[in-house]
Parts: sequence; C-alpha cells; structure tokens
Amino acid sequence: MKLPSLALALLAGLPGPSPADDARGLLRINTTIQTFDTAQPWELDPPRQRRGLGALLPGKRIITTGEMAANSTYIELESADGIHTTPGKVLAIDYEANLALLAPESDPAGTWLDTIGELEVNGPVNTGDEVQIWQLEENGDAINTTGTVRSVDLISTFVPGHYFLAYEVKASLQSASSSYTVPVTREGKLLGVLTSYDSKDQISDIIAPEIISAFLEDVEDGVYNGFPSLGIASILTEDPPFRQWLGLDAYEGGLYISRVLPESAAAKCGLKEGDVLLAVGDQFIDRRGYYVHPRYGRLFWSHLIRGSRMVGETLSLLIHRDGDERRLEAALERAVEPLIPAHMHDRPPPYLVKGGLVFQELSRQYFEAFGKEWQQRAPLNLLDALHNPEDYEEGRRRLVFLSRVIPTPATIGYDDVSNQIISEVNGRKVEDMASLAAAFRQPVDGLHTIRIDDVPYVLYLDPRLSDFVDGKLLEAGLPSLQRLGD
Amino acid sequence: MNSPLPLLGGVLLLSLPAVWGGESEILATPPASAPTTAAGAIYESVIRIEVATQVFDYRTPWNSGRFGGGIGSGFLIGPNRFLTNAHVISNARRILVTKRGAADKHPARVVHVAHDCDLALLELEDASAFEGLPFLEFGEVPALESQVRAIGYPVGGDRISVTRGVVSRIDFRAYAHSRIDSHLVVQIDAAINPGNSGGPVLQGGKVVGVAFQGLRQADNTGYIIPTPVIKRFLKDIEDGRYDRYVDLGISEFPLFNPAMRSALGVADDGRGVMVASVLPTGPCDGVLESGDVLLSIDGRPIDNAGNIMVDGEKVILHEIVERKFAGDTVRLEYLRNGAKAEAAITLKSFPYSRIFAIRYGERPRYVFFAGLVFQPLDINLYSAFKFTSPRVRKIYQNYVKDGIFKARKDVVVLTRVESDRLTTHMTEFEGSVVDEINGTRVRDLAHAHELLYSAGQPEFITIRFNGISRPLVIPSAEVEAANERIMSKNSIFRPFFLGQPESASR
Repeated sequence: MKLPSLALALLAGLPGPSPADDARGLLRINTTIQTFDTAQPWELDPPRQRRGLGALLPGKRIITTGEMAANSTYIELESADGIHTTPGKVLAIDYEANLALLAPESDPAGTWLDTIGELEVNGPVNTGDEVQIWQLEENGDAINTTGTVRSVDLISTFVPGHYFLAYEVKASLQSASSSYTVPVTREGKLLGVLTSYDSKDQISDIIAPEIISAFLEDVEDGVYNGFPSLGIASILTEDPPFRQWLGLDAYEGGLYISRVLPESAAAKCGLKEGDVLLAVGDQFIDRRGYYVHPRYGRLFWSHLIRGSRMVGETLSLLIHRDGDERRLEAALERAVEPLIPAHMHDRPPPYLVKGGLVFQELSRQYFEAFGKEWQQRAPLNLLDALHNPEDYEEGRRRLVFLSRVIPTPATIGYDDVSNQIISEVNGRKVEDMASLAAAFRQPVDGLHTIRIDDVPYVLYLDPRLSDFVDGKLLEAGLPSLQRLGD
Repeated sequence: MNSPLPLLGGVLLLSLPAVWGGESEILATPPASAPTTAAGAIYESVIRIEVATQVFDYRTPWNSGRFGGGIGSGFLIGPNRFLTNAHVISNARRILVTKRGAADKHPARVVHVAHDCDLALLELEDASAFEGLPFLEFGEVPALESQVRAIGYPVGGDRISVTRGVVSRIDFRAYAHSRIDSHLVVQIDAAINPGNSGGPVLQGGKVVGVAFQGLRQADNTGYIIPTPVIKRFLKDIEDGRYDRYVDLGISEFPLFNPAMRSALGVADDGRGVMVASVLPTGPCDGVLESGDVLLSIDGRPIDNAGNIMVDGEKVILHEIVERKFAGDTVRLEYLRNGAKAEAAITLKSFPYSRIFAIRYGERPRYVFFAGLVFQPLDINLYSAFKFTSPRVRKIYQNYVKDGIFKARKDVVVLTRVESDRLTTHMTEFEGSVVDEINGTRVRDLAHAHELLYSAGQPEFITIRFNGISRPLVIPSAEVEAANERIMSKNSIFRPFFLGQPESASR
C-alpha cells in the first residue's frame, strides 16, 4: 500500500526523471571464472559463469564487485536489453574491499556504451535515508526498489577477515536476471554496490560510498595501491580484572595489542605486543573497539585506518604502555603479505613437481578445499601454521609443503605421505618455491634429501630417476614441472 | 529374572562409539563346549556376572556421574579365581556372581585388572559355593577352520547359552576397551552377543580364548582373546601386580624406496625397516636414532615392511615384544650409516601413552579456582569436551611423539569458566592449555593447584595459555569470595580432586 505513494513522492522530488533514467548507466556483466585445481595446481578447474550488473561511471569505466571479476578468464559487457555486447577488461580490483573497475577492451567511442548514460558517484547518506536499488528484468526493463538505510557497520564480503564500511538496507527485493551484484543509487547518483541480500530479513549489504570513493581516488594515478593496514591483531579490554592488571582506568577504553606483524606499519612506528591502543588520531576507542563517527555514530575502529585514510598518510596513535601514555606516528602502508596468504585470486598457485612429489605454497585457499568443516578436517600441522604463523615465519617467506605424492617409480613407498611441511631440501632452508627449486638443482652425495615434519621425517629421491620420471610426467600431460610464483 | 538393566555389552556399545567410531563393539559373551560327558561339569564353572557401575562425568568432575549396570560372563580358572573381561567389571561399584541354576548372588571383588588387554581376575568374598568345581584349563591358539564353542550368559534369556562356530581368522587388531591397544585376536563365526563377554571359548575341553568383542556392521564375526594374551596376563600378575604391556617405543617406516635404501646403505635383499622415530625416554632412547635400519629382532630377520616370521606366520616385529615383560631384554641388530651394530634393549612400559587410553573407574581430577575449572588432558576429557582449538589438538596429538610429557606430566586445560560477575569476560579462554601461572611453567595438575592456592599470592594471579597473547588475570583479593559464591551456587562441593596417591604418582 505504501509503495505507490513512495514512488510518487520520489518522482515528484526528482528533477523530471524519465523511465529511462531509472536505468541510466546500468549494464550487465557476464564473466567466466576459472580457479586452479587445489590437488593438481598445474591445471584449471572447470569454468563457472557469473552474471551481474555494473554501473557506467564517467570516463567509460564500470564499477562492480571484486567477486564478479576475480579469477575471470573472460569478461563480457552487455547492454540492459541484451542486444549489444563487447569484451571488457579489469582496470583495478580490490579483493579485500570487494570492488572492481572495468572498461571495454577496445575504444568505446561510437558504441552502445555512448548511449546508456553515466552515473555520477554520490556522497554518503544517513541512517534512515531512502535509497534506490536497481535491477533488470530479463527483457531489459528496469526494476527500481526503494529501501531504507537501517544501519552502518563494518562487514567482510569477499576475502575473509577484511572488514569495510557497509550500509545495511531494508528492502524487499525480487530475484531478477543478472542480480548477482546490483548498483544502489540515491537521487540518480551511484551510492553503493549491493553484495548480498538476505531474503528472510530483507536486509541487503551495500558497499558504502566512502569505500567506493577511496577506491576510485586510488585508481586515478593509474597505480592501484589498495587500502592501508596497521598490521596488528588486537583483543578487547572488557574484562575488568584484565583492565586493572594493565593499569587502565575502569571506565575508559583501549584495545590490547596481541600481535604486531613484522615489517608492518605498526612495527615500524614502534608499537609492541602488550601495548594498549587508546586513540587513533583524535578518535578514542572504547573497550569494545568502537569509536564515535560524526555521521554514523559508533563504528568499529578499523574504519579509522581502512576506509578513512590512504597509503602514505601518517597517523598519530595514542597508546598506553607500562603505566604511561605516549604517542606514536605511524606511516600507513599496505600490509605485508602474511606467510600464508589470505587469498590467491588471479594468482596461479606456485608449485613444483619432483619425481612425483608435489610441493605447493600454503594459502588459505588450500584449506577451503577440505570443505565447509575445514577447520576440523584439514591436516592439523597445516592448521597450526595457519593459526600460529609466528612459529613458522623464521627463515620463510612462504610455507612450502609437500601436498601429495603421485605414484611413480621414484616415489615407491611414499604414496601415503601428504601435507607435510618442508623445512630443508639438500641441506638448504626452503623459504619459498624458488628456493626449493634452487635446492633441487644441487643434490648432495648423489641424492635429493627432503626433510618433512612428520614420519618418516626424511624422504630421499634418486636425482636421475626423478628427472626421468619428471620427463615422463610432462609426456603424460603436465604442462610444466614448476611455477615459481612472485 | 527379566532384568531391565542394560546388558554390559549394550552399555559399552552406547558409551564406546564416541571414541571408537563404532567399528567394533564389546560383547558380553561366552560359550563353552565340552564333550558330552564333561559338558555339565564345565557349565558349572561358567558364571554370570552382574555389575552395578558408576561412570564419572568429565564435564562435571565434582559430580558423582551416572549410575548404571550390566551383565557379563566369567569362568573359574583356579581356587577362588575367576577370569573375565576388564570391560565387564570396569567402573564397578558392586559385583555379584551367580552360579548356573542357582539363585544366590555372591559378592565378588577385582583382584587384578588389565585394561590394556581387556582381562580381569575376580575372587568371591565367600567361595564355598564353588568348591570342588573343575578349573578350566588353557589350550593353544586354535587352527583356522577348527571348531570352537562359546559359553556364557548373553542376551535373550537368563540361562546358560552355548553356540558353535569355526575359527575364521587369526589377526593382530585393536582391543576396543582401551582404544589404543592392539594384540592378537582370533575371529570366530559362532554367534556371540552382548553378555557373552568374559565367557570361555573352548576346543577339545580346553579354553582357547575369552569372548570379548564383535563387529557392529557384520554378522557372525566374534572376536576372542587367545591364550597367548591370557597366559601373558596370568604370568604378569604372578608377582601380585599387573605391570602392563611393554613397548619398544619406536615407529618404523617401510623401506620400499630404492633411493631411501641406498641413502641408508641398505643392501637390496628385502631386509631392514627404517626407524622413523624414537620415543623420548622410551626403552630405545639413546640407543636407536631416527634413520637407523632395523635388521633383526631376537635373531629373526626383519623385512622391508617391518615384518618377521613367527611360527610360520608373518607378523609385525612388535609381536616379539608383545610376549615379553618389563625388565626382559630384546636383541636388536641394526644399521647406522652403513655400519652394523647390535644392542640389547631392556623393555619397560611407557605410562605417558596412557593419555590416549580410556580410563575406567577413576574419579576425574580437577582444580576449581575462582570460577575456573582446570583438568588434565586425556582421552576421557577430550571426548567429553570435543576440543576444537588446533593448539589443544596438536599438543594432544604430539604429547608422546614430541616428548611434551617431559616438561608436562599433565597437560592442564581450562575446561570451564563458571558464570559469575568475576568471570563474565573470561569465557574466551575455555578449552585452552595452561602454560604458566604467575610466571611459573605448570608441570601437572597438582603443581597448578599449588601455584593457585599457595599462600602469599601477588596482587594479580596471572595465568598464561598456549597460543593466546593476553593473560587471564584474577585479583587475589577476590578469590576467596568468588570461590565461596560460585561453589555454593553451582553445587561444587569440593574445590579440587588431585587423584588417589597411586594414580597421582604416575
């Protein structure tokens, strides 16, 4: 009953919108996605198709989610009515913030892209404001649904563990074609990108305009840096005895720093494990990790770093250490990639095959191959490395492990060995795949000696036999015996 | 009497799957066979055992646990000496024995129990009712396809039951009762069922085994404990004490790989198995090293898979040790860096690996402190709490292998944080391993108790956990009031139980 009046109000409030304006800049994006096979990292999994929507921004650039474009082998831009298509390419992609900027592969001048209009990017709105969610019918007609911003929060929408500002919008959406990602507008300008919809609660998550603006601004100079990160892990200080022990005031806030990643912005500015972070800039953080944002109210503190500031900015941190307060100046930078990368999107996983032994660099993606219950089902030694990387970082840039054994004449007796962490090969420390390859070039006493972290602790290979076997594996269809990575 | 009591087999069947995966179930069984003339006499020596049990709850270690009961079988092997399965009398609070055809229940007690081979010896408080009855004698391992009879008091009636079958397999396999021990077993196809447990299996008038477990998913597969295992048990207890099985304390890796054989300097003659790991403080510690190649044990050649020949059967090399006792020696011939060497190893049992063996009849140890409950990690605790933290799982899995027991006799885990105003924000520590209390590394539960409860505590008691950056902090001034408050609210009637003297000492 309410909808017609809302729509009328909207029409009345806008400067003469025509039905065509409901879909201005709206286009379809079809991507073909292929990821690498976890067990056989030299080959791709079967392709999957993804159909979503994008919005054409000034400069013939198209914004959509990172998830739409990640691991794509082909991108097709398609007009709303499905009549025109043109191949697309990725200009920039941020897996953590879940945003991608696309462009047509060839010069769009004089093509259908000239005729669909463009969307300006809008500024932020307040909770309670109304927004329009754009979808397309199969026939190309626009569906325009009005929703209300219910709350603002930091959520992780693609790469686990990376949280960014998002609007939660209440609206009743219908399923429509290409609705995988959907532009959200206000007053005819792009406000955000819808990443998910919960039909039970009728709540959708929308990447906030601040994040989109920061992303677009970063792209401007042609080099995409990405969002900065302090490089810390923290624990809340809600527990009163813990606060007493730390010497913190009973009623104030603070975050306990439980880990400072080596080489990170935090490490460089002198932040240490055991410090308590009281304020970032002039924003004080409460004991549950929130600060008061001038527009949105209480927000989780990480938005002060990731979403509010760019790489290269400096930032003052107020900390509590040994009963004193002091300020540290942090120069913000990208996080150093951890020992075990959180994702391998668009990066073919490094591997090496020797005589039938298959070595890989451990990434979080490898765990996900163990299914939904991977936290219980994945090998315990690898899980321990994932949860306690600090115990494995010394002498390693990446964690190289023996993922499996292909039965060959060189690996007789080793068939059941799998998922073993490698420490040394031929007496040389293995710090990543390239150093493993180097170690295999120098057998000692006519043998390859591979040290692993469980029974039988050491494996031997005959270099001549394993080279022969490697040749046979190439004949059997392996495209290459190694991919050393970055 | 149609007792509503669950049968012993049923009880274990219900309690075991959690840890055993349900592959194998324990049966209460028996059978007996006897040539017609002796049959009656033999039946008289087979008893029905009725047990009232108390199974402790490791989730609430201060509580009494669950009361229940079950039924099994047993048989007379000497003056007032009855053999049965350990699982028949485990967790028993009261044991009553009934003679065939009689109504009297005779109170019995356990003389010796061997959880690692599922055998127990009982005696009656007053054995006069069994005087003059024949003692069953032991035979050898029955041949494949030979006939046997199982006698006992299984489900389906109150009277004695006899079933007949043939020996279908002789194998080395896991004994479900303790979960971690494997010994020789004989598989028979006679129907043996819950209640048969502890009963004799006979051939030619002699006992060739004790019925003890079956397979859940298969019919006509019953397992019996053969006489080499029984005789070993009876010999072990001759000195009045059961000392458990002994172990070499090594793991082997098959030497099938030519490059590996060549690296270790092993001839290409099919002999030799690699020593993969040597248990710290075990019998071979300081003698063997990882990478040595075992060539023979007590003069028997070892093949590349670690097997030897015994009585014409191929068995794993550990079978030699199976039949020995603590203090016995075993001769090993091995290769190190291509050179032959020999050593005489004095065998001993290895108590720390019992962390992986199910415990019976032991009141769980714990320490309660200001709303926190600390317990030592073992299989009972592990199955009660289903720990998910990879750190706890890793410490548990590597406890013996990595020699963690040397610094920690107990792995002390914070299992519960009782709800209270003091502990509201401490629940994140639940299921974590305690490393230090007030800066001192914790050796075992008694040590933790001492560190927490000794006089002269600092203003803040700090407890550090493995893999967790922040300490748990308790202001000492609040301990007494918190203890009183939480213990009375949660009906925790005593603040700790550190074990009986003998179990605490191990």
